[in-house]
This record gives sequence, structure tokens and C-alpha cells, in this order.
Amino acid sequence: VLQQEGQSPKAGRRWFWPADLTAPLHTAGLPPPLAAAALAGFRRKDEPWVRAAIRQRIKDEPRLKEETIARTVALVLRRSTEAGGHPLEEVINETLYHEQRRLSRANDSRAAADRAFYANVRKELPYAGTLRLRQLVHEIVARYGDEISGHFDPRIYTVATRMLPVGLSMLLHGFSFGKALRLRGRLPNIDDRLLFEGEVDRLRELARLGTVMLVPTHSSNLDSLLMGYAIYRMKLPPFSYGAGLNLFTNPVLSFFMHNLGAYTVDRLKTDPLYRETLKEYATVSLEYREHNVFFPGGTRSRSGGIETHLKKGLLGAGIAAFSHNLRQGSAAPKIFVVPCTVSYPLVLEAATLIDDYLQAFGKARYIIADDEFTILERWRDFFRGLLALDARVHVVVGRALDPFGNEVDAEGQSLDPRGRVVDPARYMYFNGQLVDDPARDAEYNRILSRRIVETYLRDTVALPTNILAYVCLELLRRRSQQIDIYRFLRTIGPGSSVPFIEVEDAVRQMVSELKGLAEARQIRLCEEAQNGSPDILIEHALNTFSTYHTTPVIERKGMRLEVGDAGLLFYYRNRLDTFGLLGAPPLLPERGEP
Amino acid sequence: MKQGAVQVAVLGAGNWGTTLAHLIAINGHEVRLLTHTEEASHEINEEHRNHRFAPTLQIHPAVSASHRHEEVIDGAQLVLIAIPSQSFREVCRAAEAFLSPDQFVIHATKGLEGGTHRRMSEVILEETCLRQIGVLSGPNIATEIAAGKLAGTVIASHFPHVVSLGRQVLASRQLMVFSGDDVLGTELSGSFKNIVAIAAGMADEMQVGENAKALLVARGMAEITRLSVAMGASPLTFSGLAGIGDLLVTCASPHSRNHRVGAALARGEPLQRILSQMGMVAEGVYAANAARELAARYELKLPLIERVHRVLYEGLAPAKGLQELMRMPAGRDVGRFDAAQAPHLHASKHSLESRHLD
Repeated sequence: VLQQEGQSPKAGRRWFWPADLTAPLHTAGLPPPLAAAALAGFRRKDEPWVRAAIRQRIKDEPRLKEETIARTVALVLRRSTEAGGHPLEEVINETLYHEQRRLSRANDSRAAADRAFYANVRKELPYAGTLRLRQLVHEIVARYGDEISGHFDPRIYTVATRMLPVGLSMLLHGFSFGKALRLRGRLPNIDDRLLFEGEVDRLRELARLGTVMLVPTHSSNLDSLLMGYAIYRMKLPPFSYGAGLNLFTNPVLSFFMHNLGAYTVDRLKTDPLYRETLKEYATVSLEYREHNVFFPGGTRSRSGGIETHLKKGLLGAGIAAFSHNLRQGSAAPKIFVVPCTVSYPLVLEAATLIDDYLQAFGKARYIIADDEFTILERWRDFFRGLLALDARVHVVVGRALDPFGNEVDAEGQSLDPRGRVVDPARYMYFNGQLVDDPARDAEYNRILSRRIVETYLRDTVALPTNILAYVCLELLRRRSQQIDIYRFLRTIGPGSSVPFIEVEDAVRQMVSELKGLAEARQIRLCEEAQNGSPDILIEHALNTFSTYHTTPVIERKGMRLEVGDAGLLFYYRNRLDTFGLLGAPPLLPERGEP
Repeated sequence: MKQGAVQVAVLGAGNWGTTLAHLIAINGHEVRLLTHTEEASHEINEEHRNHRFAPTLQIHPAVSASHRHEEVIDGAQLVLIAIPSQSFREVCRAAEAFLSPDQFVIHATKGLEGGTHRRMSEVILEETCLRQIGVLSGPNIATEIAAGKLAGTVIASHFPHVVSLGRQVLASRQLMVFSGDDVLGTELSGSFKNIVAIAAGMADEMQVGENAKALLVARGMAEITRLSVAMGASPLTFSGLAGIGDLLVTCASPHSRNHRVGAALARGEPLQRILSQMGMVAEGVYAANAARELAARYELKLPLIERVHRVLYEGLAPAKGLQELMRMPAGRDVGRFDAAQAPHLHASKHSLESRHLD
């Protein structure tokens, strides 16, 4: 009997998952798709290079943390001696200021330990000599490093990836096998609801040739789980990825996240020293050839629009790691940046996100701790909606880029706009010498981030929900006298409706525009829009909308379509904001986010 | 090659390109100049003359010319591009096969690409592997500089090393080279000022008087600043050499091509004939088109630019256009100074620019 075991990262409890359990379950009447998924998961054997990558990762994990801490400390010490640099007292004082401000609002067990630690630092600081100051910096950085580093455990990784589809399906049944039994045969597998498109094969090639930074769009907290699972499904070795600390509060999620390769990012920590440590961790892990996932939008898109303004901090880790690899004469120095666009027909947290966007326009809450993501019932409704319908989440793997924004071919070579091979290392040279130049690298990063955004737009899949929301909002907007979009949204209320026939015409018009864009490779079109007639597309979108959101976004009332929720309508249409469809101007500010 | 000498490639042997190559050679650097034809390169190499584009200039003998891209570009640390905006992309495409990512590039073209309204630095990014880009702009009438007269100019780049290398090869006792980092503002200012120069040419020809001309030029400056700031430029750029400096020269000098176009229009000549007679490119004619479309995109009213556009393309009589302008209600001259915004003008040009680009 094959037995998989693992250790929970938190408690000392041991988790057992006898692999052959699924077979009796199958015969005992577990829905075939569920049992099949479970069986396929346990029977699957990773390819040798993937297994080698996992082994290497176990070896590297402790060294990675130590090196991150050592390098961050060295950086701080070096800067403190440079002209115009901050002396160590100032660095520590800044940490105290930021951390105490954060702790004044926090009250969990972790916070208590932090408080005690910083109280001590504060006490010691006035009397600390140079040596002690250095030690204190080291202690603070080590504390940050400890928290950030993942708890990757290959055994649990194996179990977690194999359990995830089953786990999600179980979630759907309210964790009850009994219910699952009653619903047998009527449930499609979660795997059928994920569509992988684009350069999947190339991504696999590149992961063998160098180190991959996968940079997905960010709409939902589900993205973290989804990417973890997608990586496994694409038969890639586990990736590292930063996930917000708030995602680790749920023990079940925390379990999956950690073991799918997540490390912790606490966005409430505003201390520059923390950010420095985090960036260093990402850089060092790339140098250790750990593939990484970053969400360059930084936070979930509040408006529903595609992020057009990226956070460049972690993105910069790519150039830093590449430069370091070149100096070290690494055998596989190349870093590949692979944009990935995730298009959801429904977004789990849509209502909370758009609410935040509209209310705090200009002043976002930034971190939301009490949204749909934390409410189990909403999850269940969401998956039910997704699974019961013929609705799919599209994961489009974009064309890979080098850290300087050039496209990369299947052999990992950088190409110029005319397809000529160029040597990316030359970007780091000046006068024949490999030189460090932070100002230059920051500019490279800006160019890269623009190219990523271009890829996001190109790889966005226009889904029926987006198309219908766009059309309805545009028809209402044309009739309104209100120029200010936020005031206009407030005028939409119960009873705002548009004739079905007008919607149908506009959908037809829009689909033909979208087809033109798709032919020019500026967007992607879902199957429903590619082949179906407008009324089928509308029907599809209405069905999808009706399954999950508590107030229906759009509803059919006789010969008219009635808008139930202006915010959600706005949210789902924003995905297509920048394309100028139906002659409408962009309604989101240029930065995309307030 | 001498100690500290830099190898420079200059693409474009027009008036400005030839003059730049000449200045760099005087400073002791190794310059290779790309010509359009083989004959032109022979003339430069053997007689040190460029009779078509820089007839008065005795070119420094260290300038070597070729019409083959690889001979000019290979091994150069710095590539200078001085090509009219309408053929800029084509030249970038042809050059790309020989460019290397560690080369720096500075362009000296004042104009936007027709149709796309792209800035030249954007065209370079789209067509080549080069990233370290700068722009050269300022009150620089090539003929005056070729005659050895004093002048100043600006090199703007987000890459500090590009600016310093550009200064190293160009700066001399004859030419002061200032630095900047507002690439967007410098490029837009250089392009849009040509529209105001056309208006100034009309004013001179119509003899409306210096007061009226100053009125037009100053309001024109306010309009191009407003448009450029809306696109993400820093307003401070417009009080610098690449802004007011360049505008003063183009509006005052009857040598300026755009000024000549304005004057000829005021004499009632049709645009097509003026352009074909001149034989050189007047960037303002294209820039007026671009500015009008961009103004519409950013929802700005730019009455002077609008009138120049109508004179160029819709046959509006210049005198009528001036009358219309004088009848408009006069509002606030300049915007209110907002001290709260001032620090951000210095600090975050990058984020300002990225608003436009992203």
C-alpha cells in the first residue's frame, strides 16, 4: 500500500492520505470525475527533470534564507557607510517607527511576540555600540527573513497538488462525501473548467533552460491557488510565489499555499528594510533557479480592469538576479519573464472589490480582510456557479520576455523586433565592462513593465459576461446626460433597463469589432463569441450572472434587460475598457487604479 | 584612436546630421556618418563637402562617410540619429540588423511620426533592440553652428550615462550641453513649437507688429505647454532651452523652415507648392495635425493651434484666423501656482510620463 505522508507546517500533527483510498471510493460510488481526478493525481509520476528540480529545492531552501539575510544585512551596512547613506541608528529607528505603527493596530499572537521584540530593541538602542547596532540590524532582518521564507515540503507538495482538484470539488459539496455521493455523475471536474492557452510548451522549455518569473494578472485571491495548481497541471516543477499574509490565516488554505511553494508577503509592513529583505529573497531564489510567480499589479484589480500600472519593486528582481548570475558565471544565467492573463467569467470578490473602488476612489483600502474570500458559503456558490455552467476560466500563457522586454524564442534566445537574436547580457555592459547601474536598471524595468501590460491586453479573453456588461453600460451611458462616470453610475438603479433588441444589435456590432481586434492579435475571443449568435451569447452571460451574485447583475424582464447592480455592471465591463469598443472612450483613469 | 576618444555613428547626413558629425570630429572623437547615397559619401570623404544639405560647411577631415549601415554602426558606442520624422522608422529598421544592446542612442529629430503621432524615442523602442535612449534638442540653427557661432543645447534621457556620454562627445567652447531627464517634454516641445513658428511666420508676413506677434507666440507657448503637460510632460521643461529657447529662435529667424511656410501661406501661396519648392521637410506641417488630434483626445481647447491647422488644411485665410482669435474671450493668462504640487514637479517626472505611456 502506497502511503503518502506529510507534516503540517504549523502543529506537530501528522497528515496521512492513503493513496489507494480512492479506488474503493470509486467502486463505492464516488462521482467518477472526482475519483478519476484523485486517481490520476496519485498515479501521476513527475518527469525526471521536475523531480530533480524538487530535490534541488529541498537542498537550497535553508541556504536561500541564510543568503537572503546575509545579503540584505551587507547591503544595509554598505549603504550606511556611503556618502549620503543613513547611519544604522536611523535605519533601526525607521523600522521601529513603521513596526510600532503597524503593531498599534494588530492584535494576534504574532503581534505580541513582535511587540516584545521591538520593545527590547528600543530599550537597547540608545546604549548600543557599533557592533551591537550591526547585530540588531541582523536580528531584525533575520526576523523578516524567517517570516518570508516558505515552508516548502516536497512530500506535502506531492499530496497538496494531487488533492487540490479533489479538495476544490469537495468544497463544492460542503465538505460532505454524502452529498457528493448523491450528486454522482452530474458534476464536471474542476479541471474541465480551466482552459490553458498560449505558450504552455514554450514555458516548459524555458523552465529547463533558465529561470522563469511568471507574472499573472491579479483579479482574485483565487489566483494564488489557481497559479499553484496551474503550474502543477502544466507539468512544471513547483514555483515560489509571494502571497499576502492575510491568505495564511485560513488553516486549510495556508496548508495548500505553503506547500504549493508560497512565501509570505505582509503588505501591512511598510518598513523599507522589510521590502528590501523581500526583494532580496526573490532575487536570491531566482539565482538558485527557483522559478517564481509575482503579481506585478501588487494587489487585486479593484476596478475589474486589466492592470496598466505595475509595481516595479519585485519585477526588478529579474535584472538583479540576471546580473548576479552573469558575474558568477552561472551555467544557466537567463531569466525569462512570462506574462500570464487569467480571465474569469465571474470573480469571487467582484462585489467587494468594485465597492472599494467606487467608494474610495482616490483612496483605496488596499488590503481587504473581510471579503467573499473568507466566507466559505460564497466560495461554494462561486464554484457551483462555475461548475454547473459551461463557463471556463481562461489561463493564457503569454510570449516570454527577457528582463529588458525583448521577446524570447523557444531556445531561450532574446529576439529584437525584427526577429534577430541579440545577447541580453550586452544590456549590462558599458565600455566593454559589466557594470552596475541602478538608474539604468530602473529604466529597463519600466520598459519591461510596459511590454508586460501590452501582453496582458493582447491575451485578455473577452468573455460573454464582459461583453454583455460592456454593451449594457454603454447603451445606458449614451442616453445619460451625465458626463461624470461616477455620478452616472449612481443614476443607474432598479428599473434601469435597455430593450433586448438594442442589446442584441450592439452585441453583434461589438463581436464584429472584437473579431477584427482578435484577427489583429490585439485581444482573444472566447468560443461563444467566436461562433455563436448574439442571442446565444447574451443568454450565456445572463445565465452566468444569475448563478453567483446575490443581486443579479443583469436580468431579463420581458423584452428588456434590467440592470440589478450598477457597480458589478461597471466591474465586468471594465475588463474591456481600453479597447475603444463601440466607439466608447475609456472610463477608467489612465493608471487603471486609483 | 586617441585616449578617451569615443566612436560615434551619425545616421543622417542632412544639414543637422552633417553639422553634428563635424562638431564631434572637432572634439577629437571618431565619427562615421551615414549618407543616403554613395555619391554623397564620396563627396564627404574626398572633398569634405556636402553641397546639397550643408553647402557652406568645410567638414572636418576626420569625419568619414559611408552609405552602408554596417560600416557606420559597427563598434560605435554612441549612435546619433538626425533623420526627418517621416523617414525615421524606416532608417531605424534598416539600422537594426547592425545594432547591439550596449550601444547608446541619442536622436536629434524634432517631430512626431505622421499618423501614429509616436515620438521618436518610442519609434526607436519599437523598431530596435536599443534601450538606452536620449534626445537632443534646443535652439540650434545648423547653419549658425556650422559657421562656428556659439550655442547651447539639451540632452535629455532617463539614463544618466547616456547624457554624460552625449556631453562628452558634443560639449565644447562653442556648444554648451545641458542635461535633462524629461524625455517626453523635450520631444513634445521640439515638435509642437514648429506650429507656433508657422503662426509667427504668418504674423511677420502680415506685418501685424511686434506686440501682436508676441501675443501669438506667448499664447502658442501656453497651448503647447498645456497639451504636453496633459500628456505627462513637466511644465518646467518649457521654460528651458528646449522650450522657450527653441521657440524664440524658430519664431524669430526667417531661416527657419516653418517660419518660411507661415510667411508663404500669408502671401496666399498654396501649401503643396510651398512644400515642393522648399525641398526640405517642415515638421510643423505634420505637427499641427498631430497636435489637433491629441488635443481632442485629451479634451483640450487650443484655439491658436486649431487656427494654424485650418490655415494649413482647410484654406482659412490667416488674417481671418487672427481676427477670430482676437474676438475670443480672454480668460486667465496662466494657471494658478499650486505650491502643494510643486515638489512633485521635481520629483516624479517618471511617474508623470508613465501615465501617458502605460
